[in-house]
Amino acid sequence: MTRGNLRNAAFGALACACLLTSAACGSGFDDKQAGPARQSDGPATLQILIGSSGDAETTAVRAAADAWAKSTGSTATVTPAQDIAQQLGQAFAGDNPPDVFYVDASRFADYASVGALEPYGDRISDPQDFYESLRTTFTYDGKFYCAPKDFSTLALIVNDTLWKKAGLGDADVPTTWEQLTSVSEKLAAKGITPLAVGDTRDRVGAFMVQAGGWITSPDGKRATADSSENAKALEYVQSLLKGKLARFPKQLDAGWGGEAFGKEKAAMTIEGNWIKGALKADFPDVKYSVHELPAGPKGKGTLSFTNCWGVSARSRYKEQAIGFVEAMTKADQQMAFARAFGVMPSRQSAKAAYTAEFPGDTPFVNGAEYAQGPVNAPKMESVLADFDTGIQQLASTSPASVLARLQKNTRAALGN
Amino acid sequence: MTDTTTGPAAGGPPAEGPGADGADRPRRPRLSAAARESLAGWLFVAPVVVILGLFLLLPILMALWVSLTDWNGQGSPFKPGVPFVGLDNYARLFTEDDLARQDFMTSMRNNIYYVLIVVPAQTVLALGLAVIVNSRLLKGRTFFRAAFFFPSVTSSVAISVVFLFIFANSGAVTGLLALFGIRGPQWFADSRGTLHLLLGALGLVDPNAPPAALTDGGPFGLSWWEWLSGPSVAMTTIIMLVVWTTSGTFMLMFLAALQDIPVTLEEASRLDGAGRWQTFRHVTLPMLKPTLFLVLTLGMIATWQVFDQVYVMSQGDPAKTTLTPAYLSYKTAFRNFEYGPGTAISFVLFVIIVVLALVQRWVLRDRDAAPRPRRRAGKVRA
Amino acid sequence: MTASPGAAGRAAEERPRRKHKTGGTAGARTLASTFAGYFVLVFFALVFLYPFVIQIANSLKTEPDAAAHPLSPVPGPLTFAAYERVFLGTDLPLWLGNSVLVTIVLTVGRIFLDSLAGYALARLRFRGRAALFSAIVAVMAVPGVVLFIPKFLVLNQLGLYDSYTALILPVIADAAGVFIMKQFFESIPVSVEEAARIDGAGVFRTFWSVVLPMARPALITLTIISFQSAWNEFPHTLVAVQSPELFTLPRGLADLVSGSLGKGTQYPLKLGGAVLATIPVAVLFVIFQRYFVRGANEGAEKG
Repeated sequence: MTRGNLRNAAFGALACACLLTSAACGSGFDDKQAGPARQSDGPATLQILIGSSGDAETTAVRAAADAWAKSTGSTATVTPAQDIAQQLGQAFAGDNPPDVFYVDASRFADYASVGALEPYGDRISDPQDFYESLRTTFTYDGKFYCAPKDFSTLALIVNDTLWKKAGLGDADVPTTWEQLTSVSEKLAAKGITPLAVGDTRDRVGAFMVQAGGWITSPDGKRATADSSENAKALEYVQSLLKGKLARFPKQLDAGWGGEAFGKEKAAMTIEGNWIKGALKADFPDVKYSVHELPAGPKGKGTLSFTNCWGVSARSRYKEQAIGFVEAMTKADQQMAFARAFGVMPSRQSAKAAYTAEFPGDTPFVNGAEYAQGPVNAPKMESVLADFDTGIQQLASTSPASVLARLQKNTRAALGN
Repeated sequence: MTDTTTGPAAGGPPAEGPGADGADRPRRPRLSAAARESLAGWLFVAPVVVILGLFLLLPILMALWVSLTDWNGQGSPFKPGVPFVGLDNYARLFTEDDLARQDFMTSMRNNIYYVLIVVPAQTVLALGLAVIVNSRLLKGRTFFRAAFFFPSVTSSVAISVVFLFIFANSGAVTGLLALFGIRGPQWFADSRGTLHLLLGALGLVDPNAPPAALTDGGPFGLSWWEWLSGPSVAMTTIIMLVVWTTSGTFMLMFLAALQDIPVTLEEASRLDGAGRWQTFRHVTLPMLKPTLFLVLTLGMIATWQVFDQVYVMSQGDPAKTTLTPAYLSYKTAFRNFEYGPGTAISFVLFVIIVVLALVQRWVLRDRDAAPRPRRRAGKVRA
Repeated sequence: MTASPGAAGRAAEERPRRKHKTGGTAGARTLASTFAGYFVLVFFALVFLYPFVIQIANSLKTEPDAAAHPLSPVPGPLTFAAYERVFLGTDLPLWLGNSVLVTIVLTVGRIFLDSLAGYALARLRFRGRAALFSAIVAVMAVPGVVLFIPKFLVLNQLGLYDSYTALILPVIADAAGVFIMKQFFESIPVSVEEAARIDGAGVFRTFWSVVLPMARPALITLTIISFQSAWNEFPHTLVAVQSPELFTLPRGLADLVSGSLGKGTQYPLKLGGAVLATIPVAVLFVIFQRYFVRGANEGAEKG
């Protein structure tokens, strides 16, 4: 290629590009501009995207959506997402988001801060009925954005068969860190992996709560990652990992704690109530019991997880979408979901019915009293993902350096 | 030059897709033969030009704009009100002491080790296989050639799934190692750097307590110790996979070059009393130099683009040790909605690859003037 | 295959070679090295092919069997349960259909558009041809992975995102194919076309009914590599579509593997999906191996 040719090519390319740019701009710009989407009355065609925990949840939500659609003459299409964060992200950028979608508490602030969500929380009937902590989770800039779908907390799941095999009884279920260590040593001595624990802040974080620490201050404005409480928690987890008393699921050839537990590769795991459905579906023969997490130096602690029913700020059917959410968050509908896939109702009015029907879930429900919700601030996702990386290497790095790094990144993200 | 710009426009609105027919018969009967040919030429190339322009050139320009903004992924990035931040997104990758730079540099480190191992390994393996397959005393060459080449034509996603299984903790490789009494690592969960492990095994450094001289700082926000990690154990599985899939293609290139070497040349050398190795070293290898260089540069260009395998097998885990710039840019944009920084990463990657491509062309420019060897986009994907 | 037969063409055909004249000790040494050569070849053939054996065998096993005997080529109890689940329990039939549709449209489209452009660049004299050629060369150097976000932006802006058009249109013309065709057309003697032109045939007629039929070998090569790359295409689908109804097989498989937690490992199922994604190209490869080889070399040599 001679130099002249190259120059020609460059010119040609540039010229083509200009031409094409103007063409594309001409066709694509004017009609999809910002501004409120035109609203349509009457029967709606709702697109609903859910981050389903499995077939059971998908089926249950579909059934509920069909019932709603029939009663209102609308149509509601429920799509389970493989990776809801990615799918929502592309949908927002594509100006074509679903009308209703699950919003995970940990991503809520991200979506709310960019104006993707319709703040409809107070237009749903009896908003005060939702647990206070859940409402706080979905409040941004003083506005209650979206109705909590349900919630769950972490508890200690114990494999009864392995427990007996190791010669342990009910009294041996640990209620403190010290007991957790000693019972784990007994299990390990019998050649049983004691504990499978997820390698992210969503599991290990529970230890931080039990030690009296957390990543941010209660108001979510200050970074408190490098506190001595957090250090104590990570040091304890590190001691479990180093002694092979706790293993990450991947080390046990499993995708998550529940799978390792279901395959009976560990005698205990720390998971939420979703594990019930998974065990029933994939490992129906495993005998297990649920207990509250062992208390740390500062008492009991667990983590809570929740989703809300997000309504797109760009939906053409906002009213109908809110009506849909209304139907999905009725107390009896929540109980139906609870029966189908084991989540706990977000409405306090359903609490009594739930504990009556699922007495075995008492440890999960009790957790609500002392549970810590996810970090509620935008731009924290990559910081927390980096913290997960630190946790994955916890066996070989110093907890102090992991926390120092978390502190630095959190401060940068929170702007303090 | 004017023709270049007005051409497609004169041929009507840029036709989309294969609809641009009617090229054979321009309606104006009085057109001279030359003009007719010229018009036909433009009509013939118009679909390709429009598509490449629309989906290669235009995207680059649009992305260049996005990389200079702080677009949050809501609606169009071209409407007024999208904050313009200049070169901030780029500057953050190199100068600011924050997470964005740390992630980017970690991904660069991972990819550098990946390139350093994959490129020589696949080149040596490909050359070795080519030489043996080319050996004229062996039967069944067609079969072996096909066997070695087959992995490179299959779906990268499917192959990644197979390797996930093979390297699972209870998988085939662990089982194979156990036959020899070796306890294999937990491949996908093992974030330890192999260079760290090597240094530890040699007794030079204790990986659990590296010397402060190495941990106390280093360039671009990573300590020297982190830079010196080597590829993690998890990364080596991806390395093995890629060497395994690409060697076949490169073997074919060597094979083609080997068969171009006149048999008499090698025979003359052998008659002169040169040994097999000497003949290879002093006769064959020099003749293969252009191909060797081609393979090396193609390999380097492809290895900087590793994505599919990371997406399917590890998503950057464990502990970010399989994070590559290509995957990081995807993740930053589509998972964290930070389109500006994500695009900036892809442009840095773009520059690296273009520089490599230019070096390739520059070195190969007069090696063989006639058919200029050049990479084919997408063909040799790492 | 061309007037200036490239090394590629020769690599494809086995050329009869002169047998080595050998004597005493040299003969023994040759024997030893032949043996060593076979050993290496067989070893590597195993390394390169056994993973596929594992893939097929384990897709026919039960999950505990696959976990316990991953290396064994014989399924303990032979079961098609994984395939049953693949077809009945996932959207895979849909993805398979999409893959077939997209691959066929892409292959046909590329053959047509690439040969049109290749012919024009090889034969037709028009102003700006050299510049255009250079521009296409330049465009070819653009690495695919850096185009993720850009392509997404354009599809988005044009309102094509998440449609079959988005899956197909952006990749329907590929510069490399244009090169293969241009290269080939340049090797056809001009006299053939001139004869046709004198008979009064138009440019397109000449191309369509005179030149194109002569291009069969190149067209087969192009068909093969287009089919292969279209069938295996993955990253483009990531930024072109998001609805599961529009997934192609690689995209669906990737999501099945890396997707939601709680699904467990289920290797036989995933491997079953992988087998289905591998089969079409494998069959083509067995039948048209020569053209695959040619395509690979073509890509490196020309362009």
